[in-house]
Amino acid sequence: MWFDMKLAWRNILRNKRRTLIAGIAIGVGLGAMIFTDALMIGMKDNMIESATKSFLGEGQIHRQGFRLTQEVEKTINNLDEIVSNLEKEKAVDRYALRTVTFGMITSPANVSSVMVYGIQPRAEVYLSQIDDVIESGNYFEGEEEREIVIGSGLAELLEVGLGDRTVITVTQAQSGDLVQEMFRVSGIYHFNVKEMDTGMAFVRLSKAQQMLGIGKEGHEIVLKFQEIRFATKKNNPFWSKYSGDQNEAVSWTVLLPQLEAILGIFWISLLVMGIILFGIVAFGIVNTLFMSLYERMFEFGVIRAIGTRPSGVRRLILLEAGALSVLSITLGVLLGTVVTLIFANVGIDYRGIEIAGTSIHEMLYPVIHIQQYVIYPVAVFFFTLFIGLYPATVASKIQISRALRKSL
Amino acid sequence: MENNSRKIIVTENVKKYYKEEGITVKAVRGIDLTIEAGEFSAVVGPSGSGKTTFLNIISGLDTPTDGKVWLEDKLLSEMSGKDLSDLRRDRIGFIFQAYNLIPVLSVEENIEYVMLLQGVSKQERHRKVLEILEEIGMEGMEKRTPPKISGGQQQRVAIARAMVSQPKLILADEPTANLDQNTGAELLDMMRELNRKTGMTFLFSTHDRMVMDRADRVITLRDGKVEKDERKGQN
Repeated sequence: MWFDMKLAWRNILRNKRRTLIAGIAIGVGLGAMIFTDALMIGMKDNMIESATKSFLGEGQIHRQGFRLTQEVEKTINNLDEIVSNLEKEKAVDRYALRTVTFGMITSPANVSSVMVYGIQPRAEVYLSQIDDVIESGNYFEGEEEREIVIGSGLAELLEVGLGDRTVITVTQAQSGDLVQEMFRVSGIYHFNVKEMDTGMAFVRLSKAQQMLGIGKEGHEIVLKFQEIRFATKKNNPFWSKYSGDQNEAVSWTVLLPQLEAILGIFWISLLVMGIILFGIVAFGIVNTLFMSLYERMFEFGVIRAIGTRPSGVRRLILLEAGALSVLSITLGVLLGTVVTLIFANVGIDYRGIEIAGTSIHEMLYPVIHIQQYVIYPVAVFFFTLFIGLYPATVASKIQISRALRKSL
Repeated sequence: MENNSRKIIVTENVKKYYKEEGITVKAVRGIDLTIEAGEFSAVVGPSGSGKTTFLNIISGLDTPTDGKVWLEDKLLSEMSGKDLSDLRRDRIGFIFQAYNLIPVLSVEENIEYVMLLQGVSKQERHRKVLEILEEIGMEGMEKRTPPKISGGQQQRVAIARAMVSQPKLILADEPTANLDQNTGAELLDMMRELNRKTGMTFLFSTHDRMVMDRADRVITLRDGKVEKDERKGQN
């Protein structure tokens, strides 16, 4: 075997230029796979972070049915007990209570329907990015109870600016009466997501609770975990633990299924790209091995004549395919690593792009992961051997007398 | 076949027909021949007379359309491809016109190739390689590769490769065709000497007068048949 490996390696290096070209072609394919995988991981992390950090959180707790109907009276049951338990959860990094209701916002110029959120500004800083995207004014810095923060699109629609008055109309929980309160615009944000910039308005939690007549209750607890992967586990007992008492606790994957679907499509597109690249790699290998095979047909005739069994010839070609793949993998890993490291440092600017309702706020950085250096090189190695089976079988079945026709 | 240990090759009405561009070519038209162990014989004839096809058939590289071939006591048509490979490995040595050494292997590695297939130990292979290199006058050249030695030296290595595992039969196709006259004569004398010393059977396919002059027996083929079979007295 050692002798065959030595022979295969020397055969591969016999035509260095051809081997190098084939190696580079296969290596570029592998390098592209490594880089694309790193890019996908970076994009996935970026999108999940963008989606969860904007406002959604990594998980939420509501009364059952609230997400569907958003009825004001469907406040979270046993809120105090839940809050007390959340305080003890090591996996939970931050949480905040919100009220969520449909409402009308009116200015002297216009009127619009909005989702009115009652928030705890101090706690929300760690759970959403409203404070980060304030375009003008400030994020609940004053002590004024009637401050409202709205999106740039809504401000434009209502033709209001900082300090201007708006009126919010909501329905009270128990009575169903309409309640109106005047608020002054203290901050205008710009998320670059149309629904968020035109359809949301934020007031202080206490004021919202008072308007809705729900006491100290709330509709939504937004959660951030120490580790985002904790939220992604669908069978995590955390969700069932907080889904009792007619409440439901759900992960972002449930709240934003379109994002999860998009991420699924990412991996399918990576798979398709992989199949295309592996197809190119396959042609490269078959072409190189066949060129080498036809050039040395007479030599194969000789080694078969002097007693090498067909299996020996097959083994030799497979070892040559293996040697070619080792060379290609080395080139591909080097190439993939260098390109990925460059972009992991400088980043790729996708900021402002919206995908699946998620606006990318941060630079996109490819993420190097061990799987890229295990799965793809191993796949290329075994794929090369698999593809090598074809020329190996052809070589093992040569008619010796025909291969030797010019001599014996 | 009558069991006689002196007979190394026996052919019985061997025929080989094949199609080439739609035309049936009758390369061998019924050859009955017996080659005895230790012979130093030559198969001669003009191009297209069937020499190459006949040698291919008796070495198991090709199958006859009709007829039977025995190598020692083995009927080739009854053997599997794997068994034929093993038979060639263990009992036949090949010398080709264009030397046909593996260029990426050293002289030593080329010579030991067949022994490697036979599973001979590394020490034993090395010992035999050094021994045969001395015999062919190439001691000290075991690490060189074929492109770094002359045509005559390459053919010596090819002879060493064919003989090192001490097969019963050496088949040589035009072994002197690519060599100058002096080198060719020198190599033929060397093979003659090895034939005498070891008792190996040599069967040449050739046009070369020098080979015919040195052969004990000259079998002339014409149109796929034996035209003449001349035996000389032992030299």
